[in-house]
Amino acid sequence: MIPVIESGQAHPYPPRITEFTRQFWDALGEGRFMTTAGVETGQLTFPPKPVSPHAWDEEVEWVELSGRGTLYAHTTVHASPSAFVGDLPYRICIVDLEEGIRLATRLIGSAEVSIGAAVELVAVRHTDGLSYAARAMNS
Amino acid sequence: MSRSVTIIGASALPVGKWQTQPDAETQVLEHEVLAKLVVDAVKTAGIDKGDIQGLSFAMNRHYTLQKYFATFMASYLRLPCYGNVSEVLGNGMTGGWAFENAANDILLGRSKVSLALGINFETAARAQDHMMSSMRATGDVDFHAPFGITPITWYALDASRYIHEYGSSRRELASVAVKNRMHASLNPLAQFRKPITLDEVLDQRMIVEPLGLYEVPPRSDGAVVLILAEEDYAKSLGRPYVRVRSRGFYHEGVHQLSDVPNDMTAFGAARAAGEQAFADAGLLPTDIDVAELYAPCTIVEVLVSEALGLTPRGNGGKWAAEGRTSLGGEIPISTSGGLTSRGHPAYVTPLYSFVEAYEQLMGLADERQVKDAELALTSAELGNYNAALVHILEGVHS
Repeated sequence: MIPVIESGQAHPYPPRITEFTRQFWDALGEGRFMTTAGVETGQLTFPPKPVSPHAWDEEVEWVELSGRGTLYAHTTVHASPSAFVGDLPYRICIVDLEEGIRLATRLIGSAEVSIGAAVELVAVRHTDGLSYAARAMNS
Repeated sequence: MSRSVTIIGASALPVGKWQTQPDAETQVLEHEVLAKLVVDAVKTAGIDKGDIQGLSFAMNRHYTLQKYFATFMASYLRLPCYGNVSEVLGNGMTGGWAFENAANDILLGRSKVSLALGINFETAARAQDHMMSSMRATGDVDFHAPFGITPITWYALDASRYIHEYGSSRRELASVAVKNRMHASLNPLAQFRKPITLDEVLDQRMIVEPLGLYEVPPRSDGAVVLILAEEDYAKSLGRPYVRVRSRGFYHEGVHQLSDVPNDMTAFGAARAAGEQAFADAGLLPTDIDVAELYAPCTIVEVLVSEALGLTPRGNGGKWAAEGRTSLGGEIPISTSGGLTSRGHPAYVTPLYSFVEAYEQLMGLADERQVKDAELALTSAELGNYNAALVHILEGVHS
């Protein structure tokens, strides 16, 4: 399980949801960070997909991830697309999850985080939908 | 395949801000600008219009209102042809594919002479509005864009990782911007030509840390026409020309970020495409006299020069800081001024790289001429160098 926090604001640029990815977003709202794996190989992929990009078949299953990982890279954005001007400056990071999945997301919290540090994913509940972010572990 | 592709002429618009606002009373329109360049290039090359059998366009930005631009231009220029008339799109590699598309017609024997050309007008759009579109190009609309990840954010992430792994520094990376501005000061096609100091680069406001204003690409408009020809045709003109010695391409099957952890800053696609090009040419990176690299930010030039073997891994920043990649150095890189100073009209940027290689190999580069340049390398890319297209070019003077 991962923590669920409230942003109190609408999402500046919400993701589109399909019948398939709705399972990801619904689970996220319950504090579970899910993705898909090929049934045959067990190989994970992210974002979740209705096909396995490795095996090229539709035999996929949902797997819950711990949400824990390490910081691979990070930056602070000072010039943004118009939708995000109200967020400036904001931090973006790449996280290597302990199950062997790499993803990019927002880095939140005021803690200084350096590359290699332990981070955790949190679900972020906006007034109009869900998102997720990474933050320093125990922050 | 016994045929070879050559470049026998080039014409380019100085990179800058040319696009007019949508409500301007008098407009600067793409087709007029490009038509004049075509006529200029063909006249300078001294060839017959009727010999041209292909028009391969880099696709226009969506701001260009004239659609079906390729066939519109074929009409505007009254050019019937058998080869092909098309527009290609490949993100940052778009101009590179325009070149390949023209070259392939020549290699297949469908055309003796083809134009690779394009015009990229976009500067009338505000940066923050333009980024609403470009963030959808350089990421997953549903799993990257919602975080506000802009195109150059990926390169900034590379920079943070590279500094962490190799003990490089913002200072070292920033020296690439100083070097390229010095090159641009000698290039009439460059957008920014006033030399800058390292302190000036470091003093600019942050855009995406650790990259400041002078370490990221400006907004640019530009247009290029290249004349490609089968080698027999080039020889018949009795003048020097540039021959495509080899090319390499690789896409790593990844859009921006691999969900399977890899060495992100190794730019594996550039390495693979480069190895292919060097092997086909029977050359080594040390044989190259001048390299014109697709590098939107300082860090990208460092990483791609390492991936191509032009500088040692982990030392690309150091080499730039030491002047070893400057004009007069061991391997001059981005003698045009590169994307930060020559400018970055993205869809035609790879075509500008061919223009620089052409001028260097033809001895036309005036003050920025690399002495006795015989072999040049160009690269084009898309994403976070998830794909790379590498060409090795040689000057033929006999």
